[in-house]
Amino acid sequence: MYLPILLLPLFAFNDSTIIAFPLQGFTLVWFRELGQVEALHAALRNSLFIAVITAALSTLFGLIAARAGQVAFPGRGPIFGLLLLPLVLPEIIVAVSLLVVAVQLLGLPTSSFTVIAAHTLICTPFSIAILNGAFSGLDPSLEEAARDLGENRLSAFFKVTFPLVAPGLIASFLIAFTISLDEFIIAFFLTGNDPTLPVYIWSLLRFPARLPVVMALGTLLVVASIILLTLAEIARRRSARRLGQTDSGGFL
Amino acid sequence: MSGHVSIRGLTKRYDAVDVLKGIDLDIEAGEFFSLLGPSGCGKTTLLRTIAGFETPDAGTLTISGSDMAGVPPNQRPTNMVFQSYAIFPHLSVADNVGFGLKRAGIERTPALIDEMLELVGLAGLGGRAAHALSGGQRQRVALARTLILKPKVLLLDEPLSALDKKLREQMQSELRRLQRQVGITFVLVTHDQEEALILSDRVAVMFDGRIAQLAAPEQLYRAPASRAVAEFIGLMNFVPAEIKGDQLVIPGLGHMTRPDGTTSGAIDVGLRPETLSILGDDERATHEARGTVGDRTYYGDMTTYAVTLESGSTVNIAMKNTASQRIYDVGDTVRISWEPESLVIF
Repeated sequence: MYLPILLLPLFAFNDSTIIAFPLQGFTLVWFRELGQVEALHAALRNSLFIAVITAALSTLFGLIAARAGQVAFPGRGPIFGLLLLPLVLPEIIVAVSLLVVAVQLLGLPTSSFTVIAAHTLICTPFSIAILNGAFSGLDPSLEEAARDLGENRLSAFFKVTFPLVAPGLIASFLIAFTISLDEFIIAFFLTGNDPTLPVYIWSLLRFPARLPVVMALGTLLVVASIILLTLAEIARRRSARRLGQTDSGGFL
Repeated sequence: MSGHVSIRGLTKRYDAVDVLKGIDLDIEAGEFFSLLGPSGCGKTTLLRTIAGFETPDAGTLTISGSDMAGVPPNQRPTNMVFQSYAIFPHLSVADNVGFGLKRAGIERTPALIDEMLELVGLAGLGGRAAHALSGGQRQRVALARTLILKPKVLLLDEPLSALDKKLREQMQSELRRLQRQVGITFVLVTHDQEEALILSDRVAVMFDGRIAQLAAPEQLYRAPASRAVAEFIGLMNFVPAEIKGDQLVIPGLGHMTRPDGTTSGAIDVGLRPETLSILGDDERATHEARGTVGDRTYYGDMTTYAVTLESGSTVNIAMKNTASQRIYDVGDTVRISWEPESLVIF
């Protein structure tokens, strides 16, 4: 299953514009070319901007939802089910319906901000799931103990709960960031004149001569994604260890 | 007085359930006080109300003479040891112990932390990570963390229930020692009647949101105010009896002079198993009865017998296993003695 991904770096270093065996020779020219395409840099900057804002928003929403979930209230189960629904909705459906809502009903032009809104929608369930895990391991008495020892509600949260869920926040941020950075379908529908990186890559595919550049870019993206997800998993495991729990397996 | 807790007409309702149904209670400064009762009797709610985590629906609470209405937990002269200990897992032992100092306006010095750690028997463990501690050590950190703030009242929510039997007994005597040493008011919530009797100066037995009896341990055991209290504290035999004229007639056991303050008619008498004994062949007692051994349980230090009286009632008898004490067999016919003075009327 991972074989196609292994082919990416192979052809990225291949000295030929034709994607075929036998390999012609080792070259770094495609990577060098990456550094010279201005449109690609604009797409990358746009993608990073969208991913950072999306990660921050979905982590914030995830934090609020997980915090609210600590208390049992009527309708808690159905509400959480609804919040996690975007996990199972086909992205194309989400993309089309958001396009209709944004353009037809609200009259908003498609832009980076419509992409951010949509990405936040699909990333928030992941953040909620991660942060729910971080919060569920917390003893509710911890915050009460801090209050008992002189802290008010707010300072008790920041002195006790926040440091204990911080690794979960980092994990949530990194996973939302990665999802947003890689996401294509929604971005394709909702992005305006500023394409995101995946949309830009797709547009490159029409020019066979540029294909090795796509391979080089893909190689870098795979490496970056693996690094980010590894960091997220390390953060999550640290969170579990801090709470003295046995690791019950996370997303990875 | 410093550390005196006064509660008047306190009620608390959750959803449609009355958890506290009008509690009137005075806890004296410097005493070791226990709230004892089965789970769901409201004892933890009462403790959390004193701490400020629950707001009563009606009634007043004063600590050292000041009204606590509307005062949040962080501004009350109380500190609490939680059932789960609630040790902050991301901090070291020393940082846990020193957690409340800044807010309390006490300067944090290494000497002060060390002194507290030594008081609770954790000397030298200040640098240890809190999540690496054992249950007993967590308990000690929870105590040190609260005692360092010199609260007027220390609240303990089932602090020993998570420990195994041996450690629990050790911590019981340490709690007692600590309380005498620091001299502040301790309010302990427990469902373990033995623990309440061992530790407390006074015990309030709670059932169903009310205080059923408030007394010193000896009085609670010897003179339970109701059948429910008697059943909850230790073991007790209940035998039907009747008042006839100036005599109390207990079928199967005999009769005695009618105690003061009893009304006529059918009643129950309560007899603790250790106040009854099986008589040896040459022993005589003022109040004797006959019965048959129906069941025997051997505990090592003592043996208990279920003896069926001639009236058909069954009583449990606890006998110390001294070297000369005979062990009776099931089916043996025995003579037993009872003491009118240790009998309780219900």
